[in-house]
Amino acid sequence: MEQLSDEDLDHTDGGEEDSDKEDQDLDKMFGAWLGELDKLTQSLDDGRPETVQKAPQKAPLRQETNMANFCNRFSMYNINEALNKGGEGVDLDSLMADLCSIEQELSTIGKPNSGKNRLGVPGDAKLRQKPPAGRGTKGHGGAGGSGGGTSSSGGTRRPLASNLDDITAQLEQASLSMDEAGRQSSHSLASSVGTVSEHAVRSISQSSWSSVNSASASSMDSLDSYLRPSEQDGATPTPQGSNQGPPGSTEVGQPVKNKHHCKYNPEREREREREMHSYLDWETSLILQNIAGKPSHLLTKEEQVAKKKAEKIRVALEKIKEAQVKKLVIRVHLSDESSKTMMVDERQTVRQVLDSLLDKSHCGYSPDWSLVETINELQMERIFEDHENLVDSLLNWTRDSQNRLMFIERIEKYALFKNPQNYLLGRKETCEMADRNKEALLEECFCGSSVSVPEMEGVLWLKEDGKKSWKKRYFLLRASGIYYVPKGKAKASRDLVCFLQLDHVNVYYGQDYRSKYKAPTDYCLALKHPQIQKKSQYIKYLCCDDVRTLHQWINGIRIAKYGKTLYVNYQEAMKRTEAAYDWSSLSSSSIKSGSSSSSLPESQSTHCSSDSGVAVSENNLSGHSRSQSQVSSIFSEAWKRGTQDEVPPVLTPSPYPVTCLY
Amino acid sequence: LFLSPSISLSLSMAAWDLSVAVEDLGTDAPPITVSVTSDLHIGGVILKLVEKSQVKRDWSDHALWWEQKQQWLLRTAWTLEKCGIQADAGLIFMPQHKPLRLGLPNGLNLRLRVCFSGPVFRTVLGICKMLNIRRPEELSLLRPVEEKKRKKVRDLSEELYDLTEVPLTSVSRPCLYNGMPAHFADSPKTEKVYKMLSVSQPAPAPEAIAKLYRPASVVDKAHIHSRWLDSSRSLMEQGVQENDRLWLRFKYYCFHDLEPKYDAVRLTQMYEQARWAILLEDIDCTEEEMLLFGAIQYHINKLSLSEPQTMTSSPAMDDLDSALQCLEVKLDGANSSPQDMLENLTAPELNDYLKIFRPKRLTLKGYKQYWFKFKDASISYYKSKEESLGEPIQQINLKGCEAAPDVNVAGQKFCIKLLIPAPEGMNEVYLRCENEEQYSSWMAACRLASKGKSLADSSFQSEVQSIRSFLAMQQTNPNTHTDDSMSINTHSLVSPRYSKKYKAKQLTPRILEAYQNVAQLSLTDALLRFLQIWQALPDFGISLVVVRFKGSRKDEVLGITPNRLIRIDLGVGEVVKTWRYNNMRQWNVNWDIRQVAIEFDGNVNIAFSCVTADCKIVHEFIGGYIFMSTRSREQSDTLNEELFHKLTGGHEAL
Repeated sequence: MEQLSDEDLDHTDGGEEDSDKEDQDLDKMFGAWLGELDKLTQSLDDGRPETVQKAPQKAPLRQETNMANFCNRFSMYNINEALNKGGEGVDLDSLMADLCSIEQELSTIGKPNSGKNRLGVPGDAKLRQKPPAGRGTKGHGGAGGSGGGTSSSGGTRRPLASNLDDITAQLEQASLSMDEAGRQSSHSLASSVGTVSEHAVRSISQSSWSSVNSASASSMDSLDSYLRPSEQDGATPTPQGSNQGPPGSTEVGQPVKNKHHCKYNPEREREREREMHSYLDWETSLILQNIAGKPSHLLTKEEQVAKKKAEKIRVALEKIKEAQVKKLVIRVHLSDESSKTMMVDERQTVRQVLDSLLDKSHCGYSPDWSLVETINELQMERIFEDHENLVDSLLNWTRDSQNRLMFIERIEKYALFKNPQNYLLGRKETCEMADRNKEALLEECFCGSSVSVPEMEGVLWLKEDGKKSWKKRYFLLRASGIYYVPKGKAKASRDLVCFLQLDHVNVYYGQDYRSKYKAPTDYCLALKHPQIQKKSQYIKYLCCDDVRTLHQWINGIRIAKYGKTLYVNYQEAMKRTEAAYDWSSLSSSSIKSGSSSSSLPESQSTHCSSDSGVAVSENNLSGHSRSQSQVSSIFSEAWKRGTQDEVPPVLTPSPYPVTCLY
Repeated sequence: LFLSPSISLSLSMAAWDLSVAVEDLGTDAPPITVSVTSDLHIGGVILKLVEKSQVKRDWSDHALWWEQKQQWLLRTAWTLEKCGIQADAGLIFMPQHKPLRLGLPNGLNLRLRVCFSGPVFRTVLGICKMLNIRRPEELSLLRPVEEKKRKKVRDLSEELYDLTEVPLTSVSRPCLYNGMPAHFADSPKTEKVYKMLSVSQPAPAPEAIAKLYRPASVVDKAHIHSRWLDSSRSLMEQGVQENDRLWLRFKYYCFHDLEPKYDAVRLTQMYEQARWAILLEDIDCTEEEMLLFGAIQYHINKLSLSEPQTMTSSPAMDDLDSALQCLEVKLDGANSSPQDMLENLTAPELNDYLKIFRPKRLTLKGYKQYWFKFKDASISYYKSKEESLGEPIQQINLKGCEAAPDVNVAGQKFCIKLLIPAPEGMNEVYLRCENEEQYSSWMAACRLASKGKSLADSSFQSEVQSIRSFLAMQQTNPNTHTDDSMSINTHSLVSPRYSKKYKAKQLTPRILEAYQNVAQLSLTDALLRFLQIWQALPDFGISLVVVRFKGSRKDEVLGITPNRLIRIDLGVGEVVKTWRYNNMRQWNVNWDIRQVAIEFDGNVNIAFSCVTADCKIVHEFIGGYIFMSTRSREQSDTLNEELFHKLTGGHEAL
């Protein structure tokens, strides 16, 4: 493929093109693994187990990538890992389902690119969405596309302008007609991608150094890359040189793609001139500038058209962003030692994941259902807060992590709000309180202009660094952190010594530290940066005299750290619980949670999804996809709880996020 | 007092002379004598008085003050007889509104015309309306602390801004003109005063702080609260004279419905009160908290000087048109985004020779020089510039790291201390820069990266700027005081205790460190953050009074807070017991023996007499807080004055 050869040439000029190239690298790696996986599943379906061996063979690949490129390494590893555990059919299938649905999304975005080639062929978009099966026709479709493009490439500005509408239209169409798109043959997919993988192997080893910064390129890059698809050609003196693919490359679509790129060279020059408006045409952008600030009713027809166009573009951009969301396939363990595999995207909060788990597992809608992170190596666990981002938290795990994600009912989660008098009043003894007063107390504590942190103070045991000995200290909790009273001082604020500030640490329940660290009691808590996963002097261990004190401290720290958010979480959870008893409202509430997830935090999307952005066009060109009906059946299958013999969880060594995809 | 109608009728026949001093004629002028009968009502007396004075002017604000009994005769329909006035009553005819010197929380002294005849609660309402402070019920007046070295202090503290000429508006909410109430927009002079009210004042000199009165003990703090005026009586009745000095302060520490859009003055004054409480050690805090307070103060000072318009020109998207405009601008922005994309492709980088040091390594080698490249959110380094196209020696992803300065400007040391989280723990890395320029941009990049932002982020330049300006601050010699805003002495940002404890050289870097976390806040957000941290202090909102509990033999301290009462041991300073208002059944004051008795749920009864403050003050505090807690439920803006007096008035109100 010519992009590979671009790369070869790129090596000489270095510098500017780096990020592009890396994206391509990743892109290919991604494609490669997708391909591998696909092949694998197919062979699994066929009942030929020897292909399973293939994945481990590829394993050394990941060492080629840079250490710092953690995310990519992570994702590759996990795919690999998943394959190794291929024995569990359901898991692999559901994994496949997830992958396919990602693929689906990827090809959805990719389409506009090809749409660009087929200007003036209105029916073409639909045509493409139900291509006939088989690889021959695949190539054919691509060729047709480029032919259409050639016919219109002589045009002036119009192509670009209408291209916009085209993109928007296609995006909309594509997202609506996922099923249709899904009917593409998976056979052609597997083979074409398989060849890509070989290229990827080479390109990675050749240019692993350049893959360093790719992860953080903005997601917008990808838009850019497909709006100006000939960008890479700039570094290629002779586009024809791109035919120097690696020997043995049997990619069917290859010549087509070359054509497609060559064709764009003349167009490119003009594009450069219009760089300022490279996705809005000249008139439109001029009009937009003129009407900025004008009330809408004063706009002329033309201006309104321009505005609509701009709006469409915005929608298109959003859809693209949407499709580039990072996804993670996770395994969630249940208390009965079974497990579920599911896919979460990076925008989902713990609450949303819990909601979808609750919807599917029919276990009642108690607000106490929690996602619990257990770190076996450190013998600690933490209930994820509802507002936290699950993917972010899980990405802190190492690739060989023994950590588990549990889905269980934990009364500790919201005990604070059910009996606030036991946590907020700093009392030593448990007591009862009228509901009315509880509400007032919560209101007072959480709804004022600032949250009042419960006045926790008292003697706790502190584990000495690197030793299994514990010292008594008088600790105090303040909104600004945890303090202790130095020896020989009174506990006046000014004399307190700061033990920890809470911005960067999370609080964990320690498990059985009595035997592990010779703790004086079983009621231990630990404070650490979420990224720390192994024994470290940066983890602080505290031990309380009784369980009540332990819970009070942990909840106090949660309040100091999260403030009102905690209360909002609880109210949300309660709302959810109440809604669940009203079956008619159930569906609407789940719709709600779905729609809320579409407002994605910008910073995340701009940082994580670049790779997929480029992968998009690549995948699209190779055109692989998978039957949607098949996908959905597999996916729903995955939701049935595995029977006991299928999943022996106690012995399963690595039950963690199985896959991370971008 | 109550005579039978027949007798009063007979008495009323007899006319007698009543002499009334008219204040406006001067103290030397003889009192005017009018002939009255006992059944003449007060309004009639005033009418006669005005006629006889032969002065033509607006007398509408005037009323009769009964000097002897220290009370106003405001019910004009009452007869002299009903008021109990006889010929020997020394009455004074005087205006109800008189100038008062008012000390504001920010130290500004205003001279303005206030009501001397209505209850202080009313007077405060008037003052707040004039100054454009919402929620006036949270404020009150108190007598200032007598300054012992009065002579010395006088010259620097007595700058007075006269607002007596400013007409009082009768509109309930003053209309804004040019971002300020219309009555301030009349003259440049008053405009200037309004600006001083709504923008926080520059940091005082550390010497000035050290000279100001600081409460040294719990008892001292308790004494402050004996100075509050009685809300249910008038200024005159409490012995306040024309041109006397009083302080206006936030008295009840529950700030309802704080809305930066409308509350420019309120927010600023609240911040100033908080700042002074911290600087004068009225409220205790830890070192870390003090440094953070210092950092936010510095930030606020800087912003107040550079963008005085921020408070008023907050983006108010009131109408659809402006919202639409905003959208179009955004689209316009999207319009140029391919440009941004292009820039992103060639993402901004920093490239330079820096020195690195990893203290964790066992080898003793110090800083080593490498070619560093900062791109996106990670640092990579190479042996030399020439090798920067190849594989880096190491690449460090800074997302989630902590970046702390290790800077000594005088010693030309510009280090960045990075604490980078990894599964194995935190990795410590030091980067040493050559000069300020280099340091500013690399530090800014590290700060952004730690938050997961790249160099392309729009805040990069402002981050660089703020680091630079802080460095500049360190450079200036603290002995040469200039007006330049950047040369603020860090000692003026912390209380004298920390001024003494640390040299500027030690203090500045630590404030700088705390400053990094707040440098990006807008002025309003910074003010709110300051207040928020203040409110989160454990000692926040506790007003202390020394009391003697019934049955106890020693003095103890009662802390009155927005939600509870605290019994504190005077000796140890330890909390003995807390009672929450939620559990309170009733409270009574026995005005004869000056004792407060409170009954809580579950048959808990307490009673105490007040030592440092009058029991009316304690009563008013408790009633006031209960009044404040009723506000949130009825979401209306109208102030239930009657309820306030009912809860706080005591026997006078009945």
